[in-house]
Amino acid sequence: MAEKDPILGGLEGKIGRTLAKKGRFFFEVADGNLPDVARHLFVTSGCRLSTATATETHRGLEVLYHFSHDATGRYYSPRVVMTDRDRPKMRSIAPIVKGAEWIEREMAELFGITFEGHPRPERLLTKDHPKTPDRPLRLRRTP
Amino acid sequence: MSQTVIPVGPFHPLLEEAEFFKIHVDGETVTGIDTDIGYMHRGHEFISERKTFTQSIFLVERICGICSTSHPLAFVHAVEDVDNIEIPVRAAYIRTLIGELERIHSHLLWLGLAGHFIGYDTLWMWAWKYREPVLEIFETITGNRNHYGMMRVGGVARDVPPEAVPALLETLGMIERKMAMIAKAAADDPVLRSRLKGVGVLSRQAAIDYCAVGPTARASGLAIDVRKDEPKDAYGLVDFKAIVLENGDVYDKLVVRVLETFESIKIVRQCLDKLKTAPGPILNDVKEVTAGEGIGRYEAPRGEVFHYVRTDGSNRPLRHKVRAPSYVNIPTCEASCMGIPLADALITLAAIDPCYCCTERAVHLVDARGVRIAPDLLQLSREKTERLRRDIHG
Repeated sequence: MAEKDPILGGLEGKIGRTLAKKGRFFFEVADGNLPDVARHLFVTSGCRLSTATATETHRGLEVLYHFSHDATGRYYSPRVVMTDRDRPKMRSIAPIVKGAEWIEREMAELFGITFEGHPRPERLLTKDHPKTPDRPLRLRRTP
Repeated sequence: MSQTVIPVGPFHPLLEEAEFFKIHVDGETVTGIDTDIGYMHRGHEFISERKTFTQSIFLVERICGICSTSHPLAFVHAVEDVDNIEIPVRAAYIRTLIGELERIHSHLLWLGLAGHFIGYDTLWMWAWKYREPVLEIFETITGNRNHYGMMRVGGVARDVPPEAVPALLETLGMIERKMAMIAKAAADDPVLRSRLKGVGVLSRQAAIDYCAVGPTARASGLAIDVRKDEPKDAYGLVDFKAIVLENGDVYDKLVVRVLETFESIKIVRQCLDKLKTAPGPILNDVKEVTAGEGIGRYEAPRGEVFHYVRTDGSNRPLRHKVRAPSYVNIPTCEASCMGIPLADALITLAAIDPCYCCTERAVHLVDARGVRIAPDLLQLSREKTERLRRDIHG
């Protein structure tokens, strides 16, 4: 199923293990390839970014972007895994997808992930907070 | 260039919820807008990971008081997506019925608020008056005016008794006639038209860039509607149109919502007709949810609600991500408010029908002397309408 999908076809060599089920594609992407994948999905294929999910797993931290292809109702979700728990960092897709600005700021704040190249790397939820939290609030393990 | 920043927040003059807009102005012209959120962060995602799937439905229902069935619906879609769980056809019609009734009452609520904002209190009173019967329908069907508690993984919790249908159809007919009256009165009014036409334009390209959803995107010419793009429940079985307009201004956003209300009435009528005869159970027994990932979404009145669930085979989610439509629609104000007069800024902010408690985060304005100026901004908006009314009617 994964090979037949025309949008994923244009990403050959840039994506890793793909999990495909009815209208949903979850695939792993190396951090270096993320801007190319985001450009292909958003600019070339006309997908819309719904949101992104950061999760703490046994492998480290992972960020899953959810691109919706509205013409077909399909979802393409590139997953970036960061194994360095102490200093998780990855490239930002906000310069390509403006709609990713808020969610990347939120993930940076709650999970302590540094998004390199983000146009406005500020806190989203506690920007003017009288007592700024001293650690990422969603992390169970303190980095 | 000297610049003044007008703080609109964190308590909004109209919407009575917490959100902080810093409006940068040069004289009367808006030159930038900076949004601060976080006043209503309640940690739903974190709590949900400690609740069972059924308990989470009641939790996500309380994310928003207006679209209180959109979140549970998107959540159950996400859980059902993990295992491709099917639902009975009668349950599909009931889900669609509840979802569309909610759209009617939500659009009427917005129409009333928009009217109040620009100084049209008659519109506000009409819209809210005829929103009441919709809530009464909800009470008849679900037992509650809000927070219906109807959704379950695998179906719905309560049935709609066939004998209740004729009375519901009668009330629906009344709402449709009154809605037509309101729509005609609004469409025929030259003041309303000149007050809202060309105000706060969101271009098609900006809607794409900001990943806007719902009526905000559809008024800017983007044909995106989850009900059409990925028809779940009974949306594949009923006849309706997705309303798409081109101009992207506040007037088009209003027209999209009014026309959508009529489409919703059409869908509700079809669902009620089917419910007279559709056979079968309303809930499939779901014994377990296997380990996996699921994406669920629903076209809420404000746009796409997105839920992502990761499961590990237990009875609770390992990770639950919620994204409400206002989270992507509020940043579009940066584009639509640019260069407009301050008197138009409030209605432009309100035109996306923002739901701060969804986004998770409105405004008392305080000037340098500590005087509340929120009512002044509202006054500014109302005075502009009054000026237009005098110009047109003499």
